[in-house]
Amino acid sequence: MNAPLCTGPLPALGLGRRQFLNRFGLGLGGLALGGLMSPGALRASEAMDHGLLGAPHGAPKAKRVIYLFMSGGPSQLETWDYKPLLNERHGQELPDSVRMGQRLTGMSGNQASLPLAGSAFQFARHGKSGTWVSELLPHTAKVVDDLCVVRSYFTEAINHDPAITFLQTGSQVSGRPSLGSWVHYGLGSSNENLPAFVVLITRGKVDQPLYSRLWGNGFLPARHQGVQFRSGREPVLYLNNPEGIDGPGRRVMLDRLRELHEIQREQTGDAELDARIAQYEMAYRMQSSVPEVTDLGSEPQHVRDLYGPDVSKPGTFAANCLLARRLAERGVKFIQLYHQGWDQHGGLPGGIRQQCKETDHPCYGLLTDLKQRGLLDDTLVVWNGEFGRTNYSQGKLGKTDYGRDHHPRCFSGWMAGAGIKAGTVYGATDEFGYNVVENPVHVHDLNATLMHLMGIDHERLTYRYQGRDFRLTDVHGTVVKGILA
Amino acid sequence: MRFGYGYMKLSPLLLGMVLVATPLAAAPVDFAREILPLLSDNCFHCHGPSETGRKAGLRLDLREGALRVKDGKASIVPGKPDESELVKRLYTSDPEDLMPPPESHRSLTPAQKDLLKRWVAEGAVWGKHWAFEPVKSAPVPAVRAAGWARNDLDRFIQARLESEGMKPSEEAALPTLARRVALDLVGLPPAESESGRLASEPMAVAYESYVDRLLASPAFGERMASEWLDLSRYADTYGFQADVERDLSPWRDWVVDAINRNLPYDQFLLWQIAGDLLPGATQEQRLATAYSRLHRQTNEGGSIEEEWRSEYVSDRVHTVGTSVLGLTMECSRCHDHKYDPISQRDYYALSAFFNNIDESGLYSHFTAATPTPTMFLYKEGQEARHEALKTSVDRAWKAYHEAVAKTAVPAAGGGIELPKPVARYAFDGVEGGRSPNAVSTNGAAEGAIRLVSEGAGKVLEFDGDDAVVCKGVGRFGRSDPFSIGLRVRPAELKARAVVFHRSTAWTDSGSRGYELVLDAGRPFFALIHFWPGNALAVRAKKPLPVGQWSHVTVTYDGSSRAAGAKIYVDGEPVECEVVRDNLYKDIRHRGEWGDSDGNGLSLSLGARFRDNGFRKGQVDDLEVYDLTLTSGEVARVAGNPRPWTEQQQREWQAVRRDAAVARLASEARRLTEEEDRFVTGLREIMAMREMPGRRPTFVLARGAYDAPGEAVDPGVPEKIFPFGDGRPLNRLGFAQWLIDPQHPLTARVVVNRIWKHHFGRGLVPTVEDFGMQGRAPSHPELLDWLAHRFMASGWDRKALHRLIVTSATYRQATVVTPEMAQKDPENVLLGRGPRHRWSAEVVRDRALAVSGLLVGKMGGRSVKPYQPAGVWEESGTGKTYTQDHGEALYRRSLYTFWRRTAPPPSMLTFDAPSREVCTAKREATATPMQALVLLNDPQFLEAARVIATSVWTGAGEDRVRARKAFRRVIGREAAAREEEILLRLLSEQRAVFRDKPESATKYVSIGEYPRSGNLPPEELAAATVLVSALMNHDEFVTKR
Repeated sequence: MNAPLCTGPLPALGLGRRQFLNRFGLGLGGLALGGLMSPGALRASEAMDHGLLGAPHGAPKAKRVIYLFMSGGPSQLETWDYKPLLNERHGQELPDSVRMGQRLTGMSGNQASLPLAGSAFQFARHGKSGTWVSELLPHTAKVVDDLCVVRSYFTEAINHDPAITFLQTGSQVSGRPSLGSWVHYGLGSSNENLPAFVVLITRGKVDQPLYSRLWGNGFLPARHQGVQFRSGREPVLYLNNPEGIDGPGRRVMLDRLRELHEIQREQTGDAELDARIAQYEMAYRMQSSVPEVTDLGSEPQHVRDLYGPDVSKPGTFAANCLLARRLAERGVKFIQLYHQGWDQHGGLPGGIRQQCKETDHPCYGLLTDLKQRGLLDDTLVVWNGEFGRTNYSQGKLGKTDYGRDHHPRCFSGWMAGAGIKAGTVYGATDEFGYNVVENPVHVHDLNATLMHLMGIDHERLTYRYQGRDFRLTDVHGTVVKGILA
Repeated sequence: MRFGYGYMKLSPLLLGMVLVATPLAAAPVDFAREILPLLSDNCFHCHGPSETGRKAGLRLDLREGALRVKDGKASIVPGKPDESELVKRLYTSDPEDLMPPPESHRSLTPAQKDLLKRWVAEGAVWGKHWAFEPVKSAPVPAVRAAGWARNDLDRFIQARLESEGMKPSEEAALPTLARRVALDLVGLPPAESESGRLASEPMAVAYESYVDRLLASPAFGERMASEWLDLSRYADTYGFQADVERDLSPWRDWVVDAINRNLPYDQFLLWQIAGDLLPGATQEQRLATAYSRLHRQTNEGGSIEEEWRSEYVSDRVHTVGTSVLGLTMECSRCHDHKYDPISQRDYYALSAFFNNIDESGLYSHFTAATPTPTMFLYKEGQEARHEALKTSVDRAWKAYHEAVAKTAVPAAGGGIELPKPVARYAFDGVEGGRSPNAVSTNGAAEGAIRLVSEGAGKVLEFDGDDAVVCKGVGRFGRSDPFSIGLRVRPAELKARAVVFHRSTAWTDSGSRGYELVLDAGRPFFALIHFWPGNALAVRAKKPLPVGQWSHVTVTYDGSSRAAGAKIYVDGEPVECEVVRDNLYKDIRHRGEWGDSDGNGLSLSLGARFRDNGFRKGQVDDLEVYDLTLTSGEVARVAGNPRPWTEQQQREWQAVRRDAAVARLASEARRLTEEEDRFVTGLREIMAMREMPGRRPTFVLARGAYDAPGEAVDPGVPEKIFPFGDGRPLNRLGFAQWLIDPQHPLTARVVVNRIWKHHFGRGLVPTVEDFGMQGRAPSHPELLDWLAHRFMASGWDRKALHRLIVTSATYRQATVVTPEMAQKDPENVLLGRGPRHRWSAEVVRDRALAVSGLLVGKMGGRSVKPYQPAGVWEESGTGKTYTQDHGEALYRRSLYTFWRRTAPPPSMLTFDAPSREVCTAKREATATPMQALVLLNDPQFLEAARVIATSVWTGAGEDRVRARKAFRRVIGREAAAREEEILLRLLSEQRAVFRDKPESATKYVSIGEYPRSGNLPPEELAAATVLVSALMNHDEFVTKR
C-alpha cells in the first residue's frame, strides 16, 4: 500500500497516532509522552514522531541536512567556475551568439554595452581532485576533496524574491511548504526536545531580505514550520521565562496547570487534552534544551578555532556553523543557515572578498569538525545561492572594479557528506560561463536529489491540498545520479 | 490507494455515509456521490477534461467519451460490464493493461472496483458533479424523536444521527453557551453585566435575546471580518522583497462596517468586484473594489514589469476562484484543469475581466505614489469642493482659449521679440568638466559631457549609460508652463531611447517627472505622477529620421491636460496621438507624500537610471523656457524661416500682447495651482477603474507572461454555469454572474464557510475546494437547504448566523462519550457541540477583554502592539518595528499591523496566515510554541497582572478571589476540585516569591499599563501567576 495521504478521519479511539501528531504540533521536537499520556493512548515506543512516512522510502544516506544558503546569488565566476576566457576578452561585448536572446533584468538589460568581465581573482587547482578554486576560498580549498562541486545549476527566476522562493519551496508562487518542512513532514523528528527544522540567519547583514515563507509550512500543518534560533538573550521567540520567574516557580505552576487539564480531560472525555498537556511539557523542556544547545561557550577552544576568529561573535556565520554542528549532533533533521550579502551589482571584487572572508573559514571548520566526529558520513552539507551572476559587467567596467547582474542560466554550488561523491566536479558551463553545456541541474533536480539522500522519493511524498496532491518538485525533478557516491 | 484509505478502509464513519446513501444493497449506485469521485481521483489525470496529457484520446469525464467505440471496443457498454474495457482493465492481472497503471501510484480497492462494475451493470447512469448541479430546495426530513429539534436545521442533523443509531447530546449550560456564542459572534467573552441579565431572564428567551444583542454589536463585524481578510489577502504591506508599507485600512474598515449593517452577501460581492461599474457608483462602492488590489506587489529592481502585472491579474483570479467559487482556478493557469471543467482558455477568459485597469507591474521605489488606478478618499464636503474646483479650472481654461481664438490679428506685424530662455546650451565648449549655460553662470551642464566636432562647432554625444545634467534647471511641476527645444540626431532606430527627462528613474520611480523619449523613433512627451495611470502623454506619429538632425520642441501649458502638451519637429507641430490623459497629481517628488528627496533633480539628457539611454545619439542647442512658447515662437526657435500663419500671428498677439488674455491665463493658472494644492492634501487609495477600450488578453503558454497565444474575450467556465445573455461583458457582468441565484457555487460556498465558523468543520470539509477533488458534503441536503434559504432571505448573513447559533445542534454540550469517540471521532454527524481551538485573534482579544484593557475604538490605521525585538530587523530589509504605546497596545487584533514577509510572530504561532495569498482555511494546531506565547508574551502577562490587581485588591478570602478570577478568565464557575488546585497554586507561588521581592516586582512590572493599588509585589506576583495559568487553560483557547 502506498503511503497514506488522506488527511481525513481516522478510526482509532479518540485520535489516531498519526492524526494526533498532525493536529498537535509535537513534531516540533517530537514526542516523549510515555509517562504523560493516559494509559493506552500512546505507547512510549510509539511516541517518537516518525513523520508521515513512518519509515523512509529508501535507505537514507543522510540523516540530516545542513543547508548553507548564500542569499543574494554569489558569483560563480569568482568562486567555483574558472573562466580564463573572460580575462582574455575582458571589456569585449558579450557576443549575441552566447546570449542567444535570453532575457536580462531591467537593471542591466538596458545598458548601452554589456562588456565581458574577467574575474579579478586568481584560481588554482587544489586537492587530489585538482579542482579549480578561487583564491577567495583558501580554507574551503583545503577540504575540496570532500566536496562535489556542481557548476551546472540553473533556475527559472531572474529576481531574488521568486528565485529564493523557488529554490526553497520548489515554486516561485508563495504558499508552498519549504524544503525543511517537507522533510519534517515526511520524516518527523529524532530529538524529543528540539525542533526538527531549525533556521539560523547571520546577524546584521542588510541586503536582499529574507521572508518567513522561506522556512514556512505553506499548506502543511503549522508544526512543520522552521523554528528560527536567534543569537542573543532569547534564542527562540517567547522561549525565556518572563523577568522574575524562575525555573522551579514555573515548574510548579505547570504542575497545577496539568492538574487542571487532567480534570478537564475527565470532564470532557476529550483526548486532545492529552496533547495539550504534552504541549506544555515540551515547551518546558525546550526552555532548557534550547539554551543548552545554543551555548557555544562550552565548546573547547581547539574546536572553536576550526571555524575561524568570527566564531566568538554571536550570530556570525561562523558561530552559526558551530551551532549547526551542535544541532546536527542532537539529531535536528534540517538545519537551514542563511548568509545574506551576495548581491554584488557593483563593486563586486570588494564585496565578494568580504563575503568569502565571512564564510570560507567557517565552511572549512564545519566540514572538518563534522568529519572528525564521524558525522559527515550521515550529514549532508549543501552550499549554494539562488542564481548566478552575469559574465558581463553591470555598470561601468573599471580596471579593478565591476559588478555582475543576476544570471539564472547557470550557477555553482557544492554538496558534501552523506552519499555525495567527494572530490568531484559535476556539470560544466561554456567557456564564457554563460550557458550550461554539460549535465544541467535544475532547481527541481537539486531538491529531488536532496530528498533522495534523505531517503525520500520526491515523487511519492505528497500532500493533498485544494484537491491536488502537491509535492516539493511539482511534476518535475530527477535525482542527479552523477553526484551520488 | 488514496481513495480507499480515506473512504473505505479506515473510516467507519464515511463508510457509514455510503451505507446511508445506499441503505439497501439493491439501491442503485449514485453516480455523483460514489462514482464520479472514483473516476476523478483515479482516471481524470489522464482521461479527464484536460486535453494536454490525455492518453489514448479517451476522456471519461463525459458520457460520450466513455461510451465511444474504438477498434470495436468501448470503455463502457451500459449494462454489460463484461464487455466494458474499463471494467476489464480494473481486474486484469496484466500490469501492462491494468488501470490505473501501477506507476501512477494510484489504485482501487476491491470494493471500489466492484462498485464501478455494479454501476456499469446498472446501466452506467451519468450525472454531474454535485456542486455544479443547481441548488435544490431539499424537503425537511422527518425525525423519530420529538422535542429536541429547535428549527429545521436540527431536523436534518437529527434524522441523520437517528439513521446512524446515534442521539444528540444535551444542551450545554447557559454560561458555557453564552461564552461560546459570544466568542463565536463577536470574538469577545460575555460582558460581566450580561451574566446577571442572562440569569435573570427565563432561559427560553434569555439566550435568543442575547444572540440578538450580539448580532447588533459593532464587535460582530470585527469578528467576522478576519476571515474575509484572510480570503482577500489583506495586509499592511505590499509583500515580496522590500515589502514596503501601504495603508489600505479604509477598505478593511469598510468590510467591518458592511458586515455590521448586514449588507447582503450578494451586494457585498458585487461592490467589491465591480462597485466602480455600478451606475452612479458611490465613493463607498468604489472603495470596496480595493478588494482586487490587495494582492502583493513588487518593486524589486530589475523586475520585468509585464511579468509581475500578469502575476497580479492571476492573483485576482485565484482569489475570487477560491473565496467566492470554491474552485482551484490556479490549476488552469498552465494547462486545462485535470479534474474540473475549467480549460486553460476559461482561465484566461476569466482573467480578462481583471486585466483591464491602467496598472503597472511594479510599484515605485523612489516615491510613495499610490499604484494606479486610484481614487481619492474624500472626507465630508471635500468631494463637492473638488468638483467645484475642477469645474472652475475647466471654465477658466476654456475662457482663456476662447479669448485667444477671438483675438484679432493686427494689421501690421510689428516687432516680434522672442521670449528669453531660462537656460541655453550651445555645447561648444567644456570648462572644468562643464558645458556652460549661456543665460546664467548657474546651471551649467555637467556629468558625462562628451563633445564631438560637427561642422564648425561641436555637439553633445551620449554613451547611453551616463546622463548629462543641467544642474538646477527645469524644476517644473504639473501646473507650470514650460517649453524645451533642442536639436537631436539619433544614431540608430531603437525601441526606446531617453532624450531628456527630469526624474529619478524609470519604473523604479513610476517615471515621476517629465520626459522626452524616442519610442521606436517617435518623440514621446509625458508628464507623469505614476505611470501609466496618473500621467499625460502625447506621441508623434512619425519617427525622427536616423542619422539626421531634427529640431524638436515640446511645450506644455500647465493645464494637466494632454491637449496642453505639444510636440514640434523642425518648428512645425506634428501629428500626435494622445497616449494618456489622466494626470491628477503633481509630477515632482514631495516630502509630504513620503517621496525620496527630489530637490536635487534637474533636467537630464541622454540616460536615466535603468532605462534605455540615447546611445550614440547627439543633441545640440538646448533651450529651456519657463513659459509655453507659441507655435510661431517655436518655429523661430527652430530656425524655421516660413512666415507665420494668421493663426500663429493671432496666438502670439493674444498671448504676448493682450492684457485681458494674460489675466485669463493667470487666473487659469491660479485655479490650476489651487486644485493641485487641494489634491496634494487628499487621501488616495488603490481601487479598480476600467481603462478606456479593452486590453487584449491572451492564453499564456505554461502561464508565462512572455508566451502569449490565442487572444480571448472575457468569459467564464461555461460548463460550470453559463454566462448567459444580457450581462455586460466586463467585471460588472462577471459579478452579476457570480451572484445569480441560479449559480450553483456562490451561496453553497459561503453558507459552508459560515457553518465552519461555528462548527469548526464545513459540511464540505474542503471549504476551499468544491471541485471534483474536494470532499463530498456530509449533509448534502442540509447544505442545499441552507443555501436556498440563504438566497431566499436576501443573502442575509446575520440571519444565517442566528439560525445556526439558535439551533439545538449548536447548543449541545461538547462532552465526548467513549461511544462517540469510537463512532464519530471528528464529530462529523454533530452528535455533540462544536469544539476547536480559537483563532489567534480571539485568544488575544479575549485576554484583553477579560482584563478590561481592551480599547474598543474601531477602524483606522493598523497598530503595532508588543512584539519581540528584532523580528523585522532580522529579515534584512533595514526596517525597524517601532512599537506603539498607550491604547494602540490594547486594540483588537484585527487592527494589528500585518507585515507580509514578517507577520506578527505570536499571531503566526496561532496559525494566522501571512496574508500573502488568499487563504481559505486556517489549521488549528497545538504546538509548544503556543504554550510559550501564552506563558511568556508580555501581552498576556500584562493582562494577567491587571486582572490579579483588580481581583486581589481590597479585603477578601483567597477562595472567593480564586473563584472570581476563574469566572472572569474562563467564564464559568470553578468546580471545587479546580478551586483547590488554584489555592494550592497560589500558596506555592507565594512561597516562591516570599523572599524575592525584586523578582516579584520585575514580574508584575511587565507591560506598559501602570501598576495600581498597593498590593505587595510578592502577593500580586503570586496572584498574577494564578491568572496566567488560567490563560493557559484549555478552556481559554478552546471552544467548549
